[in-house]
Amino acid sequence: MSTAPEAVVEIADAAFGYGGAPVLTGVGFTVLPGEAVALIGPNGAGKSTLLAGILGLAEHDARTFRVPEGRGEIGVLPQSSEIDPAFPVTLEQVVAMGRTPRLGLRWPGRSDRRIVADAIEAVGLTPQRRTRFGDLSGGQRQRGLLARALASEPRLLLLDEPFNGLDQGSRDALLETIRTLKSRGVALLITTHDLDLARAVCDRTLLVNQQQIAFDDTDCVLTLERVEAAFASHVIEIDGHTLTTTAHHESEHSAHHRLLQDDDAERDRAQHR
Amino acid sequence: MSPDVAVLDWPALDFFGLAMVEVVLAGALAGVVGVLVVLRERAFFTMSLTHATFPGAVAAAILGVSIPLGAAVAAVALVAVAVAIGRIRSQGPAVASGVMLTAGFALGAFLQSVAPLAIDVESFLVGQVLAVTGADIALTAVLLAVALGVWALAGRHLVFSSVDEEGYRSAGMRPWAPEAVSLALIAATVVAIMPVVGAILGVALIVAPAATARLLVRDYRWMLVLAPLIGIGSGVLGLLASRWLDVAAGGAIALVAALAYGAAWLARALAERGVAARGAAGRGSIEARTP
Repeated sequence: MSTAPEAVVEIADAAFGYGGAPVLTGVGFTVLPGEAVALIGPNGAGKSTLLAGILGLAEHDARTFRVPEGRGEIGVLPQSSEIDPAFPVTLEQVVAMGRTPRLGLRWPGRSDRRIVADAIEAVGLTPQRRTRFGDLSGGQRQRGLLARALASEPRLLLLDEPFNGLDQGSRDALLETIRTLKSRGVALLITTHDLDLARAVCDRTLLVNQQQIAFDDTDCVLTLERVEAAFASHVIEIDGHTLTTTAHHESEHSAHHRLLQDDDAERDRAQHR
Repeated sequence: MSPDVAVLDWPALDFFGLAMVEVVLAGALAGVVGVLVVLRERAFFTMSLTHATFPGAVAAAILGVSIPLGAAVAAVALVAVAVAIGRIRSQGPAVASGVMLTAGFALGAFLQSVAPLAIDVESFLVGQVLAVTGADIALTAVLLAVALGVWALAGRHLVFSSVDEEGYRSAGMRPWAPEAVSLALIAATVVAIMPVVGAILGVALIVAPAATARLLVRDYRWMLVLAPLIGIGSGVLGLLASRWLDVAAGGAIALVAALAYGAAWLARALAERGVAARGAAGRGSIEARTP
Protein backbone atom coordinates (compact mmCIF):
# COMPACT_ATOMS: atom_id res chain seq x y z
CA MET A 1 0.00 0.00 0.00
CA SER A 2 1.21 3.42 -0.94
CA THR A 3 1.36 6.07 1.76
CA ALA A 4 0.90 8.98 -0.68
CA PRO A 5 -2.77 9.68 -1.24
CA GLU A 6 -4.05 8.86 -4.72
CA ALA A 7 -4.60 11.96 -6.82
CA VAL A 8 -8.20 12.96 -7.49
CA VAL A 9 -7.18 14.54 -10.79
CA GLU A 10 -4.24 13.27 -12.82
CA ILE A 11 -3.70 14.80 -16.23
CA ALA A 12 -0.58 14.55 -18.39
CA ASP A 13 0.30 15.85 -21.90
CA ALA A 14 -3.23 17.03 -22.46
CA ALA A 15 -4.79 19.39 -25.00
CA PHE A 16 -8.30 20.79 -24.65
CA GLY A 17 -10.64 22.32 -27.21
CA TYR A 18 -13.98 22.25 -28.95
CA GLY A 19 -13.36 20.22 -32.09
CA GLY A 20 -11.17 22.68 -34.01
CA ALA A 21 -7.67 23.80 -33.07
CA PRO A 22 -6.96 23.14 -29.37
CA VAL A 23 -7.55 26.08 -27.05
CA LEU A 24 -5.09 24.92 -24.41
CA THR A 25 -2.11 22.59 -24.87
CA GLY A 26 0.69 20.96 -22.90
CA VAL A 27 -1.34 20.52 -19.74
CA GLY A 28 -0.09 18.24 -16.98
CA PHE A 29 -1.01 18.49 -13.31
CA THR A 30 -2.46 16.62 -10.37
CA VAL A 31 -4.84 17.57 -7.59
CA LEU A 32 -4.58 15.57 -4.37
CA PRO A 33 -7.39 15.01 -1.87
CA GLY A 34 -7.55 17.96 0.52
CA GLU A 35 -5.53 20.13 -1.82
CA ALA A 36 -6.54 23.38 -3.51
CA VAL A 37 -4.94 24.21 -6.86
CA ALA A 38 -5.23 27.72 -8.29
CA LEU A 39 -5.79 28.03 -12.04
CA ILE A 40 -4.46 31.39 -13.17
CA GLY A 41 -4.19 33.03 -16.58
CA PRO A 42 -5.49 36.02 -18.53
CA ASN A 43 -8.91 36.08 -20.20
CA GLY A 44 -8.99 33.72 -23.15
CA ALA A 45 -6.14 31.64 -21.69
CA GLY A 46 -8.26 28.47 -21.76
CA LYS A 47 -9.16 28.25 -18.06
CA SER A 48 -12.87 27.71 -18.69
CA THR A 49 -12.07 25.22 -21.46
CA LEU A 50 -9.94 23.23 -19.01
CA LEU A 51 -12.82 23.16 -16.49
CA ALA A 52 -15.24 22.15 -19.27
CA GLY A 53 -12.81 19.42 -20.32
CA ILE A 54 -12.71 18.01 -16.78
CA LEU A 55 -16.54 17.98 -16.81
CA GLY A 56 -16.61 16.21 -20.17
CA LEU A 57 -18.22 19.23 -21.86
CA ALA A 58 -15.10 20.03 -23.95
CA GLU A 59 -12.90 17.59 -25.85
CA HIS A 60 -9.50 16.47 -24.64
CA ASP A 61 -6.58 14.59 -26.09
CA ALA A 62 -4.24 13.33 -23.38
CA ARG A 63 -1.66 10.72 -22.46
CA THR A 64 -3.12 10.47 -18.97
CA PHE A 65 -6.58 11.73 -18.12
CA ARG A 66 -8.02 10.64 -14.81
CA VAL A 67 -10.86 12.63 -13.18
CA PRO A 68 -13.72 11.49 -10.91
CA GLU A 69 -16.41 9.91 -13.07
CA GLY A 70 -19.14 8.86 -10.66
CA ARG A 71 -22.42 10.75 -10.61
CA GLY A 72 -22.13 13.86 -8.47
CA GLU A 73 -18.41 13.35 -7.78
CA ILE A 74 -17.52 16.67 -9.41
CA GLY A 75 -19.16 19.83 -8.05
CA VAL A 76 -19.10 23.11 -9.96
CA LEU A 77 -19.53 26.71 -8.91
CA PRO A 78 -20.16 28.58 -12.19
CA GLN A 79 -18.82 32.08 -12.74
CA SER A 80 -22.32 33.41 -13.27
CA SER A 81 -25.68 31.77 -12.85
CA GLU A 82 -28.36 31.64 -15.50
CA ILE A 83 -31.10 31.23 -12.92
CA ASP A 84 -34.02 33.53 -13.73
CA PRO A 85 -34.59 35.63 -10.57
CA ALA A 86 -38.36 35.30 -11.07
CA PHE A 87 -38.28 31.49 -11.12
CA PRO A 88 -40.41 30.17 -8.26
CA VAL A 89 -37.80 28.17 -6.32
CA THR A 90 -36.52 28.65 -2.78
CA LEU A 91 -32.84 28.59 -1.82
CA GLU A 92 -33.41 25.20 -0.16
CA GLN A 93 -34.86 23.79 -3.40
CA VAL A 94 -31.92 25.08 -5.46
CA VAL A 95 -29.45 23.50 -3.01
CA ALA A 96 -31.44 20.25 -3.03
CA MET A 97 -31.02 20.15 -6.83
CA GLY A 98 -27.33 19.50 -6.16
CA ARG A 99 -28.43 16.17 -4.69
CA THR A 100 -30.12 15.16 -7.99
CA PRO A 101 -27.11 13.44 -9.62
CA ARG A 102 -26.71 11.20 -6.56
CA LEU A 103 -30.45 10.48 -6.28
CA GLY A 104 -31.36 9.78 -9.90
CA LEU A 105 -35.08 8.96 -9.66
CA ARG A 106 -34.84 7.96 -6.01
CA TRP A 107 -36.89 9.90 -3.44
CA PRO A 108 -34.67 11.91 -1.04
CA GLY A 109 -34.33 10.33 2.41
CA ARG A 110 -33.50 11.73 5.83
CA SER A 111 -29.75 11.63 5.16
CA ASP A 112 -30.21 13.55 1.90
CA ARG A 113 -32.16 16.27 3.69
CA ARG A 114 -29.45 16.36 6.35
CA ILE A 115 -26.74 16.85 3.69
CA VAL A 116 -28.72 19.68 2.07
CA ALA A 117 -29.22 21.38 5.45
CA ASP A 118 -25.48 20.99 6.22
CA ALA A 119 -24.53 22.48 2.85
CA ILE A 120 -26.73 25.53 3.53
CA GLU A 121 -25.23 25.79 7.02
CA ALA A 122 -21.71 25.59 5.58
CA VAL A 123 -22.27 28.75 3.51
CA GLY A 124 -24.07 30.49 6.38
CA LEU A 125 -27.48 30.87 4.75
CA THR A 126 -29.64 28.79 7.10
CA PRO A 127 -31.90 31.76 8.02
CA GLN A 128 -32.58 32.39 4.31
CA ARG A 129 -33.30 28.78 3.33
CA ARG A 130 -36.97 29.41 2.55
CA THR A 131 -36.33 32.68 0.68
CA ARG A 132 -37.00 32.68 -3.04
CA PHE A 133 -33.63 32.28 -4.76
CA GLY A 134 -34.14 35.40 -6.88
CA ASP A 135 -34.76 37.53 -3.78
CA LEU A 136 -31.26 36.85 -2.39
CA SER A 137 -28.40 39.32 -2.93
CA GLY A 138 -25.78 38.56 -5.56
CA GLY A 139 -23.28 37.32 -2.98
CA GLN A 140 -25.90 35.16 -1.27
CA ARG A 141 -26.90 33.58 -4.60
CA GLN A 142 -23.25 32.77 -5.25
CA ARG A 143 -23.03 31.11 -1.81
CA GLY A 144 -26.29 29.29 -2.54
CA LEU A 145 -24.80 27.87 -5.73
CA LEU A 146 -21.71 26.80 -3.75
CA ALA A 147 -24.05 24.99 -1.34
CA ARG A 148 -25.71 23.32 -4.35
CA ALA A 149 -22.28 22.08 -5.46
CA LEU A 150 -21.53 20.83 -1.91
CA ALA A 151 -24.85 18.96 -1.72
CA SER A 152 -23.60 16.37 -4.21
CA GLU A 153 -20.75 15.56 -1.79
CA PRO A 154 -18.11 16.05 -4.49
CA ARG A 155 -14.60 14.58 -4.40
CA LEU A 156 -13.52 17.40 -6.70
CA LEU A 157 -14.89 20.94 -6.59
CA LEU A 158 -14.36 23.35 -9.50
CA LEU A 159 -14.73 27.01 -8.54
CA ASP A 160 -14.80 29.44 -11.49
CA GLU A 161 -13.82 32.97 -10.35
CA PRO A 162 -15.55 32.45 -6.98
CA PHE A 163 -14.32 35.74 -5.50
CA ASN A 164 -15.58 38.05 -8.23
CA GLY A 165 -18.05 40.61 -6.99
CA LEU A 166 -18.06 39.37 -3.38
CA ASP A 167 -18.06 41.79 -0.47
CA GLN A 168 -15.47 41.38 2.30
CA GLY A 169 -17.77 39.30 4.52
CA SER A 170 -18.66 36.85 1.74
CA ARG A 171 -14.98 36.65 0.76
CA ASP A 172 -13.85 35.73 4.27
CA ALA A 173 -16.70 33.24 4.59
CA LEU A 174 -15.73 31.64 1.27
CA LEU A 175 -12.06 31.37 2.30
CA GLU A 176 -13.16 29.70 5.53
CA THR A 177 -15.44 27.29 3.62
CA ILE A 178 -12.55 26.38 1.28
CA ARG A 179 -10.30 25.62 4.30
CA THR A 180 -13.02 23.45 5.84
CA LEU A 181 -13.49 21.53 2.59
CA LYS A 182 -9.76 20.93 2.31
CA SER A 183 -9.68 19.56 5.84
CA ARG A 184 -12.45 17.14 4.83
CA GLY A 185 -10.33 15.86 1.95
CA VAL A 186 -12.14 17.55 -0.93
CA ALA A 187 -9.88 18.44 -3.88
CA LEU A 188 -10.40 21.93 -5.29
CA LEU A 189 -9.47 23.60 -8.56
CA ILE A 190 -10.04 27.36 -8.35
CA THR A 191 -9.75 29.84 -11.23
CA THR A 192 -8.97 33.34 -10.05
CA HIS A 193 -7.37 36.60 -11.10
CA ASP A 194 -6.58 37.34 -7.50
CA LEU A 195 -3.00 36.31 -6.69
CA ASP A 196 -3.31 37.06 -2.99
CA LEU A 197 -6.30 34.76 -2.64
CA ALA A 198 -4.40 32.07 -4.51
CA ARG A 199 -1.61 32.46 -1.96
CA ALA A 200 -4.06 32.40 0.94
CA VAL A 201 -5.68 29.02 0.25
CA CYS A 202 -4.08 27.31 -2.75
CA ASP A 203 -1.22 24.88 -2.15
CA ARG A 204 -0.20 24.70 -5.78
CA THR A 205 -0.83 26.87 -8.82
CA LEU A 206 -1.34 26.07 -12.48
CA LEU A 207 -0.40 29.02 -14.68
CA VAL A 208 -1.70 28.94 -18.25
CA ASN A 209 -2.03 31.07 -21.35
CA GLN A 210 -3.11 28.88 -24.27
CA GLN A 211 -0.45 26.50 -23.06
CA GLN A 212 0.73 25.50 -19.63
CA ILE A 213 3.39 27.88 -18.31
CA ALA A 214 4.01 26.44 -14.87
CA PHE A 215 2.65 24.06 -12.28
CA ASP A 216 4.27 24.03 -8.87
CA ASP A 217 3.91 25.26 -5.31
CA THR A 218 2.00 28.54 -5.38
CA ASP A 219 4.94 30.60 -4.07
CA CYS A 220 7.26 29.21 -6.74
CA VAL A 221 4.80 29.76 -9.58
CA LEU A 222 3.72 33.27 -8.74
CA THR A 223 7.04 34.91 -9.53
CA LEU A 224 7.51 38.02 -11.62
CA GLU A 225 8.96 36.14 -14.57
CA ARG A 226 6.28 33.49 -14.77
CA VAL A 227 3.33 35.77 -14.29
CA GLU A 228 4.87 38.05 -16.88
CA ALA A 229 5.05 35.11 -19.27
CA ALA A 230 1.42 34.22 -18.66
CA PHE A 231 0.12 37.73 -18.88
CA ALA A 232 2.53 38.75 -21.66
CA SER A 233 1.52 42.05 -23.17
CA HIS A 234 -0.31 43.33 -20.12
CA VAL A 235 0.55 45.79 -17.43
CA ILE A 236 0.43 44.03 -14.09
CA GLU A 237 1.24 44.75 -10.55
CA ILE A 238 2.67 42.09 -8.28
CA ASP A 239 4.34 42.34 -4.87
CA GLY A 240 4.46 46.10 -5.15
CA HIS A 241 6.32 46.06 -8.48
CA THR A 242 4.71 47.29 -11.64
CA LEU A 243 5.46 45.46 -14.84
CA THR A 244 4.90 47.01 -18.23
CA THR A 245 5.29 44.60 -21.10
CA THR A 246 4.67 45.04 -24.79
CA ALA A 247 0.99 45.67 -25.38
CA HIS A 248 -0.26 43.35 -28.11
CA HIS A 249 -3.78 43.30 -26.75
CA GLU A 250 -4.44 46.92 -26.03
CA SER A 251 -8.17 46.37 -25.62
CA GLU A 252 -7.73 43.92 -22.75
CA HIS A 253 -5.02 45.98 -21.16
CA SER A 254 -7.10 47.90 -18.66
CA ALA A 255 -9.14 44.87 -17.60
CA HIS A 256 -6.09 42.89 -16.57
CA HIS A 257 -4.48 45.83 -14.98
CA ARG A 258 -7.52 46.15 -12.77
CA LEU A 259 -7.88 42.46 -12.01
CA LEU A 260 -4.31 42.08 -10.87
CA GLN A 261 -4.38 45.05 -8.58
CA ASP A 262 -4.46 44.85 -4.85
CA ASP A 263 -7.81 43.37 -3.66
CA ASP A 264 -9.09 46.33 -1.70
CA ALA A 265 -8.50 48.79 -4.49
CA GLU A 266 -10.17 46.42 -6.91
CA ARG A 267 -13.16 46.00 -4.70
CA ASP A 268 -13.54 49.70 -4.17
CA ARG A 269 -13.54 50.30 -7.86
CA ALA A 270 -15.98 47.45 -8.44
CA GLN A 271 -18.37 49.00 -5.99
CA HIS A 272 -18.16 52.38 -7.70
CA ARG A 273 -18.85 50.97 -11.14
CA MET B 1 -64.77 5.59 -30.56
CA SER B 2 -64.64 2.05 -31.87
CA PRO B 3 -67.37 -0.30 -30.63
CA ASP B 4 -65.05 -2.60 -28.65
CA VAL B 5 -64.43 0.11 -26.06
CA ALA B 6 -68.14 0.78 -25.60
CA VAL B 7 -67.99 -1.30 -22.40
CA LEU B 8 -66.14 1.63 -20.88
CA ASP B 9 -69.25 3.79 -21.17
CA TRP B 10 -70.69 4.33 -17.75
CA PRO B 11 -74.42 3.59 -17.89
CA ALA B 12 -75.07 5.25 -14.56
CA LEU B 13 -74.11 8.68 -15.91
CA ASP B 14 -75.97 10.68 -18.52
CA PHE B 15 -74.03 12.63 -21.16
CA PHE B 16 -73.78 15.65 -18.86
CA GLY B 17 -72.40 13.53 -16.02
CA LEU B 18 -69.79 12.02 -18.35
CA ALA B 19 -68.88 15.50 -19.54
CA MET B 20 -68.46 16.61 -15.92
CA VAL B 21 -66.11 13.70 -15.16
CA GLU B 22 -64.09 14.52 -18.27
CA VAL B 23 -63.71 18.24 -17.54
CA VAL B 24 -62.55 17.50 -13.99
CA LEU B 25 -59.92 15.01 -15.22
CA ALA B 26 -58.91 17.23 -18.15
CA GLY B 27 -58.69 20.32 -15.91
CA ALA B 28 -56.43 18.48 -13.46
CA LEU B 29 -54.26 17.07 -16.27
CA ALA B 30 -53.97 20.42 -18.05
CA GLY B 31 -53.01 22.10 -14.76
CA VAL B 32 -50.33 19.57 -13.84
CA VAL B 33 -48.77 19.55 -17.32
CA GLY B 34 -49.31 23.31 -17.67
CA VAL B 35 -46.86 23.91 -14.80
CA LEU B 36 -44.26 22.20 -16.97
CA VAL B 37 -45.23 24.39 -19.95
CA VAL B 38 -44.98 27.60 -17.92
CA LEU B 39 -41.76 26.74 -16.04
CA ARG B 40 -40.01 25.60 -19.23
CA GLU B 41 -41.46 28.52 -21.25
CA ARG B 42 -43.04 26.26 -23.83
CA ALA B 43 -46.37 28.12 -24.23
CA PHE B 44 -45.81 29.00 -27.90
CA PHE B 45 -44.65 25.47 -28.65
CA THR B 46 -47.84 24.16 -27.02
CA MET B 47 -49.94 26.55 -29.07
CA SER B 48 -48.28 25.30 -32.27
CA LEU B 49 -48.77 21.73 -31.18
CA THR B 50 -52.50 22.25 -30.61
CA HIS B 51 -52.83 23.50 -34.18
CA ALA B 52 -50.68 20.67 -35.48
CA THR B 53 -53.04 18.05 -34.08
CA PHE B 54 -55.94 19.45 -36.13
CA PRO B 55 -55.01 17.90 -39.53
CA GLY B 56 -54.37 14.55 -37.80
CA ALA B 57 -57.85 14.58 -36.34
CA VAL B 58 -59.41 15.45 -39.71
CA ALA B 59 -57.38 12.74 -41.46
CA ALA B 60 -58.40 10.21 -38.81
CA ALA B 61 -62.07 11.15 -39.30
CA ILE B 62 -61.72 10.71 -43.08
CA LEU B 63 -60.00 7.33 -42.65
CA GLY B 64 -62.43 6.26 -39.95
CA VAL B 65 -59.73 5.50 -37.36
CA SER B 66 -59.36 6.68 -33.76
CA ILE B 67 -59.24 10.47 -33.68
CA PRO B 68 -56.82 10.76 -30.70
CA LEU B 69 -54.50 8.37 -32.56
CA GLY B 70 -54.61 10.53 -35.68
CA ALA B 71 -53.99 13.65 -33.62
CA ALA B 72 -51.07 11.98 -31.81
CA VAL B 73 -49.44 10.85 -35.06
CA ALA B 74 -49.77 14.38 -36.49
CA ALA B 75 -48.32 15.87 -33.31
CA VAL B 76 -45.26 13.61 -33.43
CA ALA B 77 -44.76 14.27 -37.16
CA LEU B 78 -44.98 18.04 -36.74
CA VAL B 79 -42.66 18.03 -33.70
CA ALA B 80 -40.13 16.26 -35.96
CA VAL B 81 -40.63 18.95 -38.63
CA ALA B 82 -40.21 21.66 -35.98
CA VAL B 83 -36.95 20.11 -34.75
CA ALA B 84 -35.68 20.00 -38.35
CA ILE B 85 -36.62 23.63 -39.05
CA GLY B 86 -35.12 24.67 -35.72
CA ARG B 87 -31.76 23.31 -36.89
CA ILE B 88 -31.67 25.49 -39.98
CA ARG B 89 -29.09 28.17 -39.35
CA SER B 90 -30.54 31.52 -38.31
CA GLN B 91 -34.03 30.05 -37.81
CA GLY B 92 -34.83 29.80 -34.13
CA PRO B 93 -37.36 27.54 -32.41
CA ALA B 94 -39.96 30.34 -32.44
CA VAL B 95 -39.82 30.45 -36.23
CA ALA B 96 -40.16 26.66 -36.34
CA SER B 97 -43.17 26.78 -34.04
CA GLY B 98 -44.76 29.54 -36.12
CA VAL B 99 -44.34 27.61 -39.36
CA MET B 100 -45.68 24.47 -37.71
CA LEU B 101 -48.71 26.36 -36.38
CA THR B 102 -49.86 27.75 -39.72
CA ALA B 103 -48.89 24.66 -41.72
CA GLY B 104 -50.83 22.40 -39.36
CA PHE B 105 -53.92 24.52 -39.45
CA ALA B 106 -53.74 24.95 -43.24
CA LEU B 107 -53.33 21.20 -43.74
CA GLY B 108 -56.37 20.52 -41.57
CA ALA B 109 -58.49 23.02 -43.50
CA PHE B 110 -57.24 21.56 -46.79
CA LEU B 111 -58.03 17.98 -45.76
CA GLN B 112 -61.48 19.01 -44.61
CA SER B 113 -62.21 20.70 -47.97
CA VAL B 114 -61.22 17.61 -49.97
CA ALA B 115 -62.92 15.13 -47.62
CA PRO B 116 -65.56 13.02 -49.37
CA LEU B 117 -67.79 13.12 -46.28
CA ALA B 118 -69.01 16.06 -44.27
CA ILE B 119 -66.79 16.30 -41.19
CA ASP B 120 -67.80 18.23 -38.12
CA VAL B 121 -64.63 20.33 -38.03
CA GLU B 122 -65.93 22.54 -35.26
CA SER B 123 -65.79 19.72 -32.72
CA PHE B 124 -62.07 19.28 -33.45
CA LEU B 125 -61.38 22.99 -33.19
CA VAL B 126 -63.32 23.97 -30.06
CA GLY B 127 -64.28 20.58 -28.62
CA GLN B 128 -67.58 18.87 -27.99
CA VAL B 129 -67.44 17.74 -24.41
CA LEU B 130 -71.09 16.67 -24.29
CA ALA B 131 -70.26 13.96 -26.83
CA VAL B 132 -67.38 12.59 -24.72
CA THR B 133 -67.01 8.80 -24.55
CA GLY B 134 -65.80 6.40 -21.88
CA ALA B 135 -62.63 5.85 -23.91
CA ASP B 136 -61.90 9.61 -23.92
CA ILE B 137 -62.32 9.65 -20.14
CA ALA B 138 -60.11 6.59 -19.72
CA LEU B 139 -57.36 8.18 -21.85
CA THR B 140 -57.48 11.39 -19.81
CA ALA B 141 -57.44 9.48 -16.51
CA VAL B 142 -54.47 7.31 -17.53
CA LEU B 143 -52.53 10.35 -18.70
CA LEU B 144 -53.29 12.20 -15.46
CA ALA B 145 -51.85 9.24 -13.53
CA VAL B 146 -48.77 9.21 -15.80
CA ALA B 147 -48.27 12.98 -15.41
CA LEU B 148 -48.50 12.75 -11.62
CA GLY B 149 -46.10 9.79 -11.66
CA VAL B 150 -43.57 11.70 -13.76
CA TRP B 151 -43.74 14.69 -11.40
CA ALA B 152 -43.34 12.43 -8.36
CA LEU B 153 -40.35 10.52 -9.75
CA ALA B 154 -38.59 13.08 -11.91
CA GLY B 155 -39.91 16.41 -10.64
CA ARG B 156 -36.45 17.44 -9.40
CA HIS B 157 -34.97 16.73 -12.82
CA LEU B 158 -37.75 18.66 -14.58
CA VAL B 159 -37.32 21.71 -12.34
CA PHE B 160 -33.50 21.61 -12.23
CA SER B 161 -33.21 21.43 -16.02
CA SER B 162 -35.85 24.18 -16.40
CA VAL B 163 -34.25 26.62 -14.00
CA ASP B 164 -30.60 26.05 -14.92
CA GLU B 165 -29.96 23.87 -17.98
CA GLU B 166 -26.22 24.67 -17.95
CA GLY B 167 -25.96 23.70 -14.28
CA TYR B 168 -27.88 20.49 -14.99
CA ARG B 169 -25.40 19.61 -17.74
CA SER B 170 -22.40 20.53 -15.55
CA ALA B 171 -23.72 18.21 -12.86
CA GLY B 172 -23.17 15.35 -15.30
CA MET B 173 -26.77 14.88 -16.44
CA ARG B 174 -28.28 15.13 -19.91
CA PRO B 175 -30.86 17.89 -20.40
CA TRP B 176 -32.41 16.19 -23.45
CA ALA B 177 -34.02 13.53 -21.25
CA PRO B 178 -36.26 15.88 -19.19
CA GLU B 179 -36.90 17.89 -22.36
CA ALA B 180 -38.09 14.81 -24.26
CA VAL B 181 -40.28 13.70 -21.35
CA SER B 182 -41.78 17.20 -21.12
CA LEU B 183 -42.55 17.48 -24.83
CA ALA B 184 -44.09 14.01 -24.88
CA LEU B 185 -46.30 14.84 -21.88
CA ILE B 186 -47.37 18.15 -23.44
CA ALA B 187 -48.20 16.51 -26.77
CA ALA B 188 -50.15 13.69 -25.11
CA THR B 189 -52.10 16.20 -23.02
CA VAL B 190 -53.01 18.29 -26.06
CA VAL B 191 -54.41 15.13 -27.66
CA ALA B 192 -56.22 13.93 -24.54
CA ILE B 193 -58.06 17.18 -23.84
CA MET B 194 -59.16 17.66 -27.48
CA PRO B 195 -62.69 16.38 -26.77
CA VAL B 196 -63.11 19.04 -24.07
CA VAL B 197 -61.72 22.22 -25.62
CA GLY B 198 -60.64 21.13 -29.08
CA ALA B 199 -57.33 21.76 -30.81
CA ILE B 200 -57.45 25.56 -30.86
CA LEU B 201 -58.66 26.20 -27.31
CA GLY B 202 -56.52 23.48 -25.72
CA VAL B 203 -53.68 25.90 -25.09
CA ALA B 204 -55.98 28.05 -22.93
CA LEU B 205 -56.76 25.21 -20.54
CA ILE B 206 -53.09 24.14 -20.38
CA VAL B 207 -51.35 27.51 -20.07
CA ALA B 208 -53.85 29.78 -18.30
CA PRO B 209 -54.29 27.86 -14.99
CA ALA B 210 -50.54 27.33 -14.56
CA ALA B 211 -49.78 30.94 -15.52
CA THR B 212 -52.42 32.06 -13.00
CA ALA B 213 -50.81 29.94 -10.28
CA ARG B 214 -47.41 31.34 -11.27
CA LEU B 215 -48.69 34.85 -10.55
CA LEU B 216 -49.99 33.90 -7.12
CA VAL B 217 -47.22 31.77 -5.53
CA ARG B 218 -43.42 31.93 -5.13
CA ASP B 219 -42.76 28.19 -4.84
CA TYR B 220 -43.34 25.83 -7.80
CA ARG B 221 -44.76 23.10 -5.53
CA TRP B 222 -47.73 25.33 -4.79
CA MET B 223 -48.17 25.81 -8.53
CA LEU B 224 -48.64 22.04 -8.76
CA VAL B 225 -51.48 22.31 -6.24
CA LEU B 226 -53.12 25.50 -7.50
CA ALA B 227 -52.91 24.96 -11.27
CA PRO B 228 -54.95 21.72 -11.33
CA LEU B 229 -57.52 23.29 -8.97
CA ILE B 230 -57.87 26.30 -11.28
CA GLY B 231 -58.05 23.96 -14.27
CA ILE B 232 -60.80 21.91 -12.65
CA GLY B 233 -62.64 25.09 -11.58
CA SER B 234 -62.44 26.49 -15.11
CA GLY B 235 -63.75 23.24 -16.58
CA VAL B 236 -66.64 22.86 -14.13
CA LEU B 237 -67.69 26.52 -14.23
CA GLY B 238 -67.41 26.64 -18.00
CA LEU B 239 -69.48 23.49 -18.41
CA LEU B 240 -72.18 24.75 -16.02
CA ALA B 241 -72.20 28.14 -17.78
CA SER B 242 -72.62 26.43 -21.13
CA ARG B 243 -75.69 24.65 -19.75
CA TRP B 244 -77.26 27.71 -18.09
CA LEU B 245 -76.52 30.15 -20.91
CA ASP B 246 -76.85 27.61 -23.70
CA VAL B 247 -73.41 28.41 -25.17
CA ALA B 248 -70.56 26.20 -26.48
CA ALA B 249 -68.78 24.44 -23.60
CA GLY B 250 -65.27 24.64 -25.12
CA GLY B 251 -65.40 28.40 -25.52
CA ALA B 252 -66.93 28.90 -22.07
CA ILE B 253 -64.21 26.79 -20.39
CA ALA B 254 -61.40 28.61 -22.18
CA LEU B 255 -62.95 31.97 -21.28
CA VAL B 256 -63.26 31.09 -17.58
CA ALA B 257 -59.58 30.03 -17.58
CA ALA B 258 -58.59 33.32 -19.22
CA LEU B 259 -60.75 35.30 -16.77
CA ALA B 260 -59.05 33.53 -13.84
CA TYR B 261 -55.70 34.67 -15.22
CA GLY B 262 -56.98 38.24 -15.63
CA ALA B 263 -58.34 38.26 -12.06
CA ALA B 264 -55.05 36.95 -10.64
CA TRP B 265 -53.09 39.54 -12.59
CA LEU B 266 -55.36 42.31 -11.31
CA ALA B 267 -55.16 41.02 -7.72
CA ARG B 268 -51.37 40.98 -7.88
CA ALA B 269 -51.16 44.42 -9.43
CA LEU B 270 -53.43 45.82 -6.70
CA ALA B 271 -51.43 44.06 -3.98
CA GLU B 272 -48.18 45.49 -5.36
CA ARG B 273 -49.72 48.96 -5.52
CA GLY B 274 -50.86 48.54 -1.94
CA VAL B 275 -47.31 47.68 -0.85
CA ALA B 276 -45.93 50.62 -2.84
CA ALA B 277 -48.55 52.97 -1.36
CA ARG B 278 -47.75 51.83 2.18
CA GLY B 279 -44.05 52.28 1.42
CA ALA B 280 -44.71 55.79 0.10
CA ALA B 281 -46.79 56.63 3.19
CA GLY B 282 -43.95 55.38 5.42
CA ARG B 283 -41.42 57.52 3.58
CA GLY B 284 -43.81 60.46 3.78
CA SER B 285 -44.01 60.28 7.57
CA ILE B 286 -40.23 60.07 7.89
CA GLU B 287 -39.85 63.07 5.62
CA ALA B 288 -42.44 64.89 7.70
CA ARG B 289 -40.36 64.31 10.81
CA THR B 290 -37.13 65.37 9.18
CA PRO B 291 -37.86 68.54 7.26
